[in-house]
Amino acid sequence: MKKSLLLATIIAALFMSGCSQKKPEVDMTKQESAQESTTAVTEADTGVSEVVGTEEVGDITTLPEDARMEKIKELEASTKKIYFDFDKYNIRPDQEANVDEDARIFTSDAAKDLTIKVEGNCDEWGTDEYNYALGLKRAKTVRDALALKGVDESRMVMVSYGESNPVCTEHTKECWAKNRRVEFELLP
Amino acid sequence: MRYLIILLTGIVLFASDATLEIVKSADARPSVTIQDSSDFADMRIRQKFFRLVLGDLKVTAHFKVDDTYRSGSFDSMIDPLMKEYDYLFRYRFKEGDGQTLYLDVRVYDIGSKNAIYERSYRVANRTRYPFLIHQAVIDFNDFLNMPSVDWMRRYVVFSQYSKPKSADIVVADYTLTYRKRIISGGLNIFPKWADRNQKGIYYTKLGKRPVLYYYNIYTGKQTKVVTSDGMLVCSDVSRDGKRLLLTMAPEGQPDIYRYNIETGVRERLTFYSGIDVSAQYSGSEKKIIFVSDRLGYPNIFIKKIGERAVRQLVYHGKNNNACSAHGKYVVYTSRESDNAFSANTFNLYLVSTQSDYIRRLTASGVNQFPKFSPDGESVMYIKHYASQSALGIIRLNYNEGFLFPLKGHKIQSIDW
Repeated sequence: MKKSLLLATIIAALFMSGCSQKKPEVDMTKQESAQESTTAVTEADTGVSEVVGTEEVGDITTLPEDARMEKIKELEASTKKIYFDFDKYNIRPDQEANVDEDARIFTSDAAKDLTIKVEGNCDEWGTDEYNYALGLKRAKTVRDALALKGVDESRMVMVSYGESNPVCTEHTKECWAKNRRVEFELLP
Repeated sequence: MRYLIILLTGIVLFASDATLEIVKSADARPSVTIQDSSDFADMRIRQKFFRLVLGDLKVTAHFKVDDTYRSGSFDSMIDPLMKEYDYLFRYRFKEGDGQTLYLDVRVYDIGSKNAIYERSYRVANRTRYPFLIHQAVIDFNDFLNMPSVDWMRRYVVFSQYSKPKSADIVVADYTLTYRKRIISGGLNIFPKWADRNQKGIYYTKLGKRPVLYYYNIYTGKQTKVVTSDGMLVCSDVSRDGKRLLLTMAPEGQPDIYRYNIETGVRERLTFYSGIDVSAQYSGSEKKIIFVSDRLGYPNIFIKKIGERAVRQLVYHGKNNNACSAHGKYVVYTSRESDNAFSANTFNLYLVSTQSDYIRRLTASGVNQFPKFSPDGESVMYIKHYASQSALGIIRLNYNEGFLFPLKGHKIQSIDW
């Protein structure tokens, strides 16, 4: 026991005296290790940027949330607005093709899992409650027509914005006609 | 003699029917002239105050009011030029500490040259100056024992659009001069006073689906009342405040429901596949008056609660899409042009559930949002005419109307 303690003391003394004699070399070691770590970080950066690049061209389902929303908004922008006559909520013959196109979009693979918000809107000429009811009836007519064309009713929610959501604010007949409409919002 | 009695009875009966216009042969009302003795140097502010004093006095309909703006010291002698009037209404606005504003009123009987009446009023915040004036005019009117105009101190609540899909709820005085925004953020619509003392309102917040809230305007406390698909509006509140008339649209079908706020029980009152909206209690709250498109265009109908039968109330116009009811009277808007390509004129009409008379209340422009005053003697409405907007007050028993200029946002709905 005493022998081994003595041996350890001698080795330690030799090691410590050796270290103090090679002070500049210690400094060199530090520099080397610093260089090594810098190189490693650079390599990691390159690797990460490559990985990100790979993901960006990958499958749609692995897209980040905002990119998916962008895709939904694109789809939403491709839907057709359905326009109505003054004070009416029946679908005009000239709007039937638009309803068909919307039904096609909503039953397509890209949209089949999305919820459809059917929004009814009016021009500025109704007064308060009646206008909101008119907007709602327009939304309902369109929802029922879409359901007949194969869009699942449980995917559609209706809301009326009355005259609160104009797309055109000039006081002209053309402008009022543009505001009497049903449009859609697609929700994930 | 018998004929004379019949004739007199006829006059009395007709006189109690507000649908008949009153044609005055001679104006026997006391005349009043106004004098401003305020400290303010800014003439714009002085004119603002004067116009409101003048407007309030006129709206009472109890006085012949001189339009002339006169100024002079509060303690000066009566100008001899005023001798053609019965009363001088002299007032003085004074600035106090901070935002405090004072109003002193002294009324002279010009005939005897005596001050017959003097009062002082104060508000802690000068933006509330309209209430100083309303109170002063209410007191002056009461002092001369005229029929009460207490309704002048009541609040009006309205919703105004701020941007697409966004509307705020605002509390105002009856001229909409003073306004305080109480609810903002999102689409807040259809405010309705919840009680006669105006402590709270019901209103709809339209988010993913509409929710009806009760909001206490003094504490700001808000509670959810009920929710429905598609559409939800509180159209009227019973006198005891317990039973609401709602327009709800489960499955996208707008119908009228009665909702008991104590039990939460809802009862469907109309069963039509088109549009039924804007229900108002009529008479002793056993009937409702509402707007429906069951004839292919919006019109006014009446029905007894609990019975299926519905009766058409208005046989005039092809587009009557809003109404307000008080007792046996109904005021409604009628679109005079019935297609999208002619000039838009909306006029207001008054009908009684007990007679066939129709009285037209407005003659030109777009007149919308009619609302009875709580005492049923006046109708408030919004008028748009030649790119100007105004708040209108019609004093039904006096056959007189007044307009207060209105600036700012588009109004969605209003309740008095």
